[in-house]
Amino acid sequence: MTKDILLNIEGLSLDFRTNRGRVKALRDISFPVQKGRILGIVGESGSGKSTVLWSILGLLAGNAEVTAGRVDYGARDLLTLDAQALRAIRGEEISVVFQDPMTSQIPVLPYARQMSDILYRRSMSEADKRKAAIDMLRRVGIPDPDSRIDAYPHQFSGGMRQRAGIAMSMLTGPNLLLADEPTTALDVTMEAQMIGLMRGLRDDFDTTIVVVSHNLGLIAEMCDDVVVMYAGEVVETGEVHEIFHNARHPYTRALLECDPARIAEVSRKLPVIPGDIPDLTRPLPGCIFADRCQKAMPDCAKVAPPMVARGGGMARCHLLEGPLADASWPPPADVVTVGRDLGGLAPVKARSDAPPLLEVHDLNVRFRTMGPLKARLNGVSDPFVDAVLDVSLDVKPGETLALVGESGSGKTTLGRTILNLQGASGGTVRFDGRDIAGMAEGQFKPLRRDMTMMFQDPVGSLSPRKSVRALITEPLVIHGAQGRDLDTEAERLADMVRLPRSFLSRYPHELSGGQARRVGVARALALNPRLIVADEPTAGLDVSVQGEILNLMADLQAEHGLSYLIITHNLPVVRHIADRIAIMYLGRIVEDGPAAKVFARPAHPYTRALVEGVPQPDPDRRRPPTAVIEGEVPSLLRRPKGCDFAARCPLAQDACHAAKPRHTHIAPDHRHACLFPLRTPSDLTETA
Amino acid sequence: MFTYLLKRLGLAALVVVAVLLLLFSMLHMIPGNPAILALGTRASPEAIAEYSARMHLDKPVLTQFVYFLGNAVQGDLGQDVFSNRAVTSVIGERIGFSLALICTGMGWAVLLGVPLGCLAAVRPGSWLDRVTGVFSVGMIAVPSFLVSIWALLFFSLELHWLPAIGAGEPGDLADQLSHLVLPAFAIGLGWVGYLARMVRASMLEVMGEPYIRSARAYGLQPRRVVLGYALRVAILPTITLIGMGFGGLISSAVFAEIIFSRPGVGKMIFDAVSDRNFPIVQGGVLVATGFYILVVLLSDLLIAWLDPRVRSSL
Repeated sequence: MTKDILLNIEGLSLDFRTNRGRVKALRDISFPVQKGRILGIVGESGSGKSTVLWSILGLLAGNAEVTAGRVDYGARDLLTLDAQALRAIRGEEISVVFQDPMTSQIPVLPYARQMSDILYRRSMSEADKRKAAIDMLRRVGIPDPDSRIDAYPHQFSGGMRQRAGIAMSMLTGPNLLLADEPTTALDVTMEAQMIGLMRGLRDDFDTTIVVVSHNLGLIAEMCDDVVVMYAGEVVETGEVHEIFHNARHPYTRALLECDPARIAEVSRKLPVIPGDIPDLTRPLPGCIFADRCQKAMPDCAKVAPPMVARGGGMARCHLLEGPLADASWPPPADVVTVGRDLGGLAPVKARSDAPPLLEVHDLNVRFRTMGPLKARLNGVSDPFVDAVLDVSLDVKPGETLALVGESGSGKTTLGRTILNLQGASGGTVRFDGRDIAGMAEGQFKPLRRDMTMMFQDPVGSLSPRKSVRALITEPLVIHGAQGRDLDTEAERLADMVRLPRSFLSRYPHELSGGQARRVGVARALALNPRLIVADEPTAGLDVSVQGEILNLMADLQAEHGLSYLIITHNLPVVRHIADRIAIMYLGRIVEDGPAAKVFARPAHPYTRALVEGVPQPDPDRRRPPTAVIEGEVPSLLRRPKGCDFAARCPLAQDACHAAKPRHTHIAPDHRHACLFPLRTPSDLTETA
Repeated sequence: MFTYLLKRLGLAALVVVAVLLLLFSMLHMIPGNPAILALGTRASPEAIAEYSARMHLDKPVLTQFVYFLGNAVQGDLGQDVFSNRAVTSVIGERIGFSLALICTGMGWAVLLGVPLGCLAAVRPGSWLDRVTGVFSVGMIAVPSFLVSIWALLFFSLELHWLPAIGAGEPGDLADQLSHLVLPAFAIGLGWVGYLARMVRASMLEVMGEPYIRSARAYGLQPRRVVLGYALRVAILPTITLIGMGFGGLISSAVFAEIIFSRPGVGKMIFDAVSDRNFPIVQGGVLVATGFYILVVLLSDLLIAWLDPRVRSSL
């Protein structure tokens, strides 16, 4: 292993001045970045991982103040460079790939202009700059770069934009590439492509990469070295196999154990790290993780933990060295160290003979794409797109159905249509035997008690000016719950979702992501519904917290016999919580069946692509680049004539392009829409 | 794009007709017989009847309106009641003065207000930002006719720097320009404040966008980031504001033209209203409305030209 260090961060401490006082966001951060390797910084929200990245470039928010430390790049300390010297390094020697390509590229300039601007320091002719930019766009896989270079960001799809973003950052051939959550805004199949692309670029250009992510799969698949951060401190560093197979810090260990993708056997109850990130205006004098640690001893919170080296890495924990050392730590990999709440009622088995609570039959939702005048002038005979196409599904009482798909698959539109928030253009939706599609709101209102929605954005869907008490009793007020004491109801609901009663007087901005989710669950539960449509119930939640919400939902289901329709793209979670799953692609269900069967024996190649598309949080199970599915979800405007997936399908044949495959049953409860389904388990391992 | 233009022009025509209808009905509610006004109080009843028939004053109001519209489409806005000259040529003589005033007024406001707003946004909290902030509010709060009167009193009557009334000798450009300074200053002053505030707010917002951080992370020079990137986006809502601002300026120009006795369309309309010279009023309002609609359309097209997202949605 070469010990050539490109960048060395030494004792970096940083405060944010806020009106709550000084938040000590980074405390004594030290780690080296070795030349030619990919270093991953992993941590949950509030860990300060992005702040480290921005302090390397000197692009911190105005209220940030570096209080100690150095960032050595070669012979220079980047923290002491003046603005001009820093600017000379930015973009040229150290460049960045940003999190969200939708917002990080200026919408009003074409790529040609944005890219030649980056090369402003080079004494090249404009034609040469353009040529260099085209070459780089071709390298990152933009088709037809000679003409696409004149496109604007909004003309690219999400995956193409991120490719273009990577091209922009690699254009100058930087020594160091910083990637801030480079795939968080992308779908699973895109994520896999980006990981392959960045690894390829590292090999071709000998670039060192620092990637910041909360996604353990991405870190395991992409990185050589890992830095684990928690609440503004580095708790452990090491080589990727050491971290994933032999973690020594209790936090690293807990984080890995909470990842649903690492939990082999299917379990309704997911492990969690109880508690919240500590208040960083007054960090603990001892170990920062002490108050959430399962192994914490009284002294942990008082005495700073020792830094224990191993190989090239280190871990900061009392268990490893000193008077509190525990020879039995760390335990073998199969021992679970985090709290696993196995209490609560046993999950009710959905009765398969019961009549379905929700029945959707041949549902279609069409959206108009242009006005009638424009359509006539442009000679478009059918100015509509099918957002939802011939969808049939049903949900039995007490059952969880997961609707899985990438963005643009129509899964959210379907959910909204089921709840009559969106008109259907064909088909039926039956709830408890009554046809509800297109019912007038006045007629539908009583049914809203029985079927409610949990919204995707937990904070954004709560009015910022209402207290938690008002928010969770709002459904009762809307539906005229006379004669009920709202205060009692508020307390009952808070207890139900395990939200401390003192939180009832708080406002949404005073809640953490997990707490805001609980309020969302309480609102959905207020009227004792029978069906909850949950749109991405764990989106934006950290791994250590998402288990709490899912466990809560499982308990409530067992207790009240609720049915869930869960809309999500998160397959590892779905595997644990869903009874059945339905895979959507371009508004159509391509496969549905019992979750275990669909995961173990996918019949549709797209299902297999999704299942295999999730990067595994295990560096020994990296996929070869050939296992990654090509291309992107096509636009609804250009729906293929044949199978919607044919253009991307590795198994597609001529017949696939001719007509849409009909739904076929391979078992009474397992259906797919593929002409050449993957029947045998040996097909699954063929490419893996 | 073509569809869009068609739709916009159709809407513009509807707006013009609606404005004219409103105006037409309002004029008819004002007491006074136009025929008597035109021919004088001592005109014989026969002459009045003859005039009324010729001018279709004996027809129902709605029919009169249809006649008026029909003629307007053919470029005939009727005759000045007193001089019997075509309204179009009366307006033609005067419109130049008004256009010069409105465009100069908005022009200097843009040239000063936009850079001020930019500077204030780049260094929020600096003395320049604070001074701009206080002055903008002050400038917005003072009505333009007051500014006109004070400017007239101070710069022409007290200091004798600039001429007080009229529009200058025809053909003498320098003289005409010197007559333009005070009224243009008066009507533009408030807009300096408006634009500075608008540009500052919108710049501050854009400077916080991730793509500005991207530009800085790629090491672009600060000047390029501010002018080439941030302003490029921040100016878009300001263009809409400027377009709509021309509407406000048309009414400010009426005051300025009265106070400075400029022979513009605004003063013409004012005089015509007091004289019950209805054809002139109608013609003047039609031209002003048309001008306003045109400016708003142009500003929307300019935004579409600057913003590819809008362009592709047209």
